[in-house]
Amino acid sequence: MDRKVIKELELNAAKCRRNVVRMVEASGCGHLGGALSCIDILTALYFYKMNISAQNPKLEDRDRFILSAGHKCMAQYAVLAEKGYFDKSVLDTYGRLNTKIPGHPDMHKLEGIEANTGALGHGLSIGCGMALGFKLDKMSSKVYVVMGDGELAEGSNWEAAAAAAHHKLDNLVVFVDNNGLQISGHTSDIMNFEPIAERFSSFGWAVKDIDGNNMKEIIETLDLIPMQCGKPTLIVSHTIKSKGISFAENKAAYHYWKPSKEELNQAIYETETAIKELELI
Amino acid sequence: MVGEKLDPRKEFGKAVTELAELNSDIVILSADSGGSSGFGEFAKEHPERYFEFGIMEQGVMGIASGLATTGKIPVFCAIAPFVTVRPYEMFRNDLGYMKQNAKIVGRNSGLTYSDLGATHHSLEDYAIMRMIPGVVVLAPQDPVEIRYAVKAMLEHDGPVYMRIGNAAQPVLFEEKPFIIGKGTVLKEGEDITIISTGSITAEVLKAAVLLEEQGCNPHIIGMPTVCPIDEEIIVEAANRTGKIVTVEEHYLQGGLGTMVAEVCAAKSPVPVKMLGVPKVYAASGPYDELMALYGLDAKGIADAVLKA
Repeated sequence: MDRKVIKELELNAAKCRRNVVRMVEASGCGHLGGALSCIDILTALYFYKMNISAQNPKLEDRDRFILSAGHKCMAQYAVLAEKGYFDKSVLDTYGRLNTKIPGHPDMHKLEGIEANTGALGHGLSIGCGMALGFKLDKMSSKVYVVMGDGELAEGSNWEAAAAAAHHKLDNLVVFVDNNGLQISGHTSDIMNFEPIAERFSSFGWAVKDIDGNNMKEIIETLDLIPMQCGKPTLIVSHTIKSKGISFAENKAAYHYWKPSKEELNQAIYETETAIKELELI
Repeated sequence: MVGEKLDPRKEFGKAVTELAELNSDIVILSADSGGSSGFGEFAKEHPERYFEFGIMEQGVMGIASGLATTGKIPVFCAIAPFVTVRPYEMFRNDLGYMKQNAKIVGRNSGLTYSDLGATHHSLEDYAIMRMIPGVVVLAPQDPVEIRYAVKAMLEHDGPVYMRIGNAAQPVLFEEKPFIIGKGTVLKEGEDITIISTGSITAEVLKAAVLLEEQGCNPHIIGMPTVCPIDEEIIVEAANRTGKIVTVEEHYLQGGLGTMVAEVCAAKSPVPVKMLGVPKVYAASGPYDELMALYGLDAKGIADAVLKA
């Protein structure tokens, strides 16, 4: 793997992390932890893998991205802004009346959003429908879904998991952002779905475990897709909640963040330092 | 032919199948429900456009949304409560909020699964589906109107919920072109207006005969679109007769009666008497007996109108 490609992606991810902090600064609060755990995956998808166009967001044969865990939307807004879907000044409207970037994504407000998620347990079914539609039309478009690990407790996901395997949707690729924490604590204590990969495997999916904050590992995995012909792909991405902000990492309390001025300044400093360090390499 | 009794599910399935011959974007989704929804023939003729998912109505609702984003027109028909109350959030978010062009049809609706009990009755579907912004709610009144309603539903760009019954229904109309959002005057009268929706209109028309025998000349309006409601025809009727009775196979609250009362309160205040099912888990038993129990047979309707 070309080290330059990985470095460029890491730099983009670092800029996206700074974009997330910018949104929190604008609104005073936001779902920080999950946005920062999944942001490396989103960066890899948008900057490396997906067939998309910021200049032509409705490109007919584009790949589709669905953020099933819609509360992590700051990650998607950050990546879309970095990719050029909209001017970065829009990030400063987060939390404001009639913003294009509400607290959960709205496809009718912002180009690049493909589904209105927020209520958990919806994205996988919607993704199945899209993948089925592309199969029917013999289109090569793929559907990428990012789910939370806490979200796996929603039963509707398992309906969709069965349907995707039954209908052989190998154009469907799902990442579970397995940061291990949800609002009330450790996911395994609240409702244990481990081992996630084995559960999906038993439903008929091709599965793989990766470090979801390691860009090299993410793109090497993306290069393998579809992992098995005739099977949907499930990638359990082991991640760190609030990755990139030292005092918030791996703490459930930062699922939703309402920062003090000191915390905010520290987060700005850390995310900007990360960018500078990567630019120096 | 008027008076002939036909199975509404078969007429529905035939109508969709005919239109699907002309439009290859139409796809059928089944939650182990397609065969009983009149799609047996479709499944044989177009297996590539017939998708079986087993009994997972929540999942199918999201799948319908995803398919619609790719330009397909999914039609999903199953027992009414299983496509309304059960996957309500999926209907609201994935179809309503996402404004997707999917068609959801609740069959065996109202009390028609009479003997199977309250789990299989749908007496709140008009009320809850009309609360989703942008969703059209249809309740065609006879097998002929079902066919026209299917055409209108498939030509409409947006989410639609349609309710059809189960037991064989009498044909009321030779032809019944369907315009979404429009009611029609089925019989001119001066003494009192009766507005009904869905298959119970057959009983209303029988009740009209009983009323005329007793010297009452009712103005009868058929309202096969529950939402958006035809305000104009309601106001005209209110001004004409000064009194309205609504009849529906639905709870008294939240459905057609409520909507008519809302229009009258805002635009032409007149007394509105609502006939329907009280908000209880309804009894089970033979359909005709159940309808009579709740005063929704022709005699019950006529008696209530005379007292209005």
